[in-house]
Amino acid sequence: MPRFGTSIRIASAVAAAAALAVVVAGTAGASTQKRSNATITGAGSTFVAPLVSQWISPVAGAYGIELQYSAIGSGGGVAAITARTVDFGASDAPLTPDQFGACKGCEQIPWALGATAIMYNLPGVKNLLHMDGPTLAKIFMGQIVKWNDPAIAKLNKGVSLPSTAITIAHRSDNSGTTYNLTDYLSSVSPAWSSQLGRGVAVNWPAGVGAKGSSGVAGVVSSTPGAIGYADVAYSVQSHLKYFALENRSGKFTTPGSRGILSAASSDQKPAADNSLSIVNPPKKYDNAYPISTFTYVIVPLQSSKASDLKHFLFWAVTKGQTGQYTAKLRFVPLPKSVLVVAEKAIAKIHS
Amino acid sequence: MSAADATATPTRRPFTGRRVRFGDVLLQLVAGAAALGATVLVGLIVWKLVDGSRLALSKYGLGFVTHVAWNPVAGHEVYGAGSFLFGTIVTSFFALLIATPVAIGIALFLTELAPRTIRAPVTALVETLAAVPSVLVGLWGILVLGPVLRADVEPWLHSALGWIPLFGPPSSSGASVFTAIVVLAIMILPIVSSISRELFLGVPPELKEGALALGTTRWEMVRGVVLPYSRGGVAAALILGLGRAMGEAIAVTQVIGGGVFIHWNLFSTGDTLGSKIASSYQGASTQLQAASLIYLGLVLLVLSLVANIAAQVIVRRVARKHGVTRGGHA
Repeated sequence: MPRFGTSIRIASAVAAAAALAVVVAGTAGASTQKRSNATITGAGSTFVAPLVSQWISPVAGAYGIELQYSAIGSGGGVAAITARTVDFGASDAPLTPDQFGACKGCEQIPWALGATAIMYNLPGVKNLLHMDGPTLAKIFMGQIVKWNDPAIAKLNKGVSLPSTAITIAHRSDNSGTTYNLTDYLSSVSPAWSSQLGRGVAVNWPAGVGAKGSSGVAGVVSSTPGAIGYADVAYSVQSHLKYFALENRSGKFTTPGSRGILSAASSDQKPAADNSLSIVNPPKKYDNAYPISTFTYVIVPLQSSKASDLKHFLFWAVTKGQTGQYTAKLRFVPLPKSVLVVAEKAIAKIHS
Repeated sequence: MSAADATATPTRRPFTGRRVRFGDVLLQLVAGAAALGATVLVGLIVWKLVDGSRLALSKYGLGFVTHVAWNPVAGHEVYGAGSFLFGTIVTSFFALLIATPVAIGIALFLTELAPRTIRAPVTALVETLAAVPSVLVGLWGILVLGPVLRADVEPWLHSALGWIPLFGPPSSSGASVFTAIVVLAIMILPIVSSISRELFLGVPPELKEGALALGTTRWEMVRGVVLPYSRGGVAAALILGLGRAMGEAIAVTQVIGGGVFIHWNLFSTGDTLGSKIASSYQGASTQLQAASLIYLGLVLLVLSLVANIAAQVIVRRVARKHGVTRGGHA
């Protein structure tokens, strides 16, 4: 057995060396950035991650603040800020009362506006196939299993659909994007609402779980016939096709700025916890893309880095919303009314 | 250093003697503290698991262990370990089933059959497999193994052996219980093979030579001498591998696909106790869900303990039955 002992020892030595390397790299990275006087760390939503990573260099330029963000999923972000291992968390789903209680003195602030795209992989079939809510709910419930199902064909007259089996890809971790999708499906399908409901994770009756938006995009791009969901930026980056979704007025809309802005105008008054619901808005918002969402930053009201955190957040909800950062990623600048609420909430942070 | 001091100044010899005794006391204290620390740590872990899962324990009781349900949505909340317990047992059992003959084959090859020149490099390579981090094995499972199994192996098994419920319709994405089983088999392979190799090396050469002198073939020698002599140890190695397979979380999470159901089709998706905890604990949305996930941890711990105790009983019985007391080498 001595040889076995050696191999274990080697394995743990390798692990220790790797851990040490990470620590050393971390400190080295921090120390080379001499001009920055503070580091602000955040973690959470993969949905907002592409936007936050666009903010890193301008925030460093404007305030000398070094911004570090880990896209570990909304659930992970909530856990991280609750444990105070980061300076801010990011979540697409508003906190539940239990989570607010556990977080002790946290507030959530809407800080970005985007949309969830339903992506698909069907070689030889055009982009922007038409889809409506009830059919989508049936697909995700595993009741529609082939792409040439009459329900899908009816929405896409003149398109020849293959008989490929549908493979559903969903998130295996707790995800705000899952919340966005299931929130929408609950509002369009009574069956979904009563059997599955809305949440950061649901009891998926079918499909394959993958970790993170990148995991879902990975399954969809490697599996012909697959369908999945992620924010629009991921589907664009992964060159995946996505649906034009029917809204309440009967229009098929795409997750572009017009559709998202129209949806955003449907809820101008945040609730007491600053949450807003713009999913599947009423008929009069006739250009609205029905799975649009505000996503939130979660901060402790009392923070040792209060002044740096406030600088960064003010910048994020104002300059950070301008087209040079948001447009390419298909995010949309916060509407004025929401901006006012966000600024008020940011002002409450103190040291 | 103390020895050098002692020879330099012989007058301090009595002190040296006392220092040796002091060293003994120190050794006893340090080693005792280490042993005590490990014991206390196990106790603390068990206590924390029980404490953390109290909410779920009081709500579901023991029925939780076999109940097949997991729904974290507010208003629909219900939790049970049944499907994850099933998934853990199925994946680790089949992983062991695949890994055992291969691992023993490798060990036999390296001790009895391989030309001397290639023994050392092949041994080193097999043991390197043990050092590959599980997250990398999982990644490889996603990128390489899953697609290969989906495109080639699963359809072939289904068409040849489809009448067995285990080999149902192939998976569509490459994420399946079967992929998890193969990944786990690869992970436990080096553990079992390196221990078995040591055991086979420990078989006294005079026994092997005696058998060969009696005119046995090499295979008869392996079957009649090497395997019976090391049976107990190999059983222990297999149990070690089983423990590894049951506890592995990350690599399984990456390739198994998830889902709360019990079915016999290995090509469908599933979940294990470890993979469910790994994928869902961060950001659990309610206290009951967090408590239920910790309860899953408790179930996993008890399962591992049961497997370990069963293993020790088996090892002892095998050793007694064959009346083999192994020499100093193993």
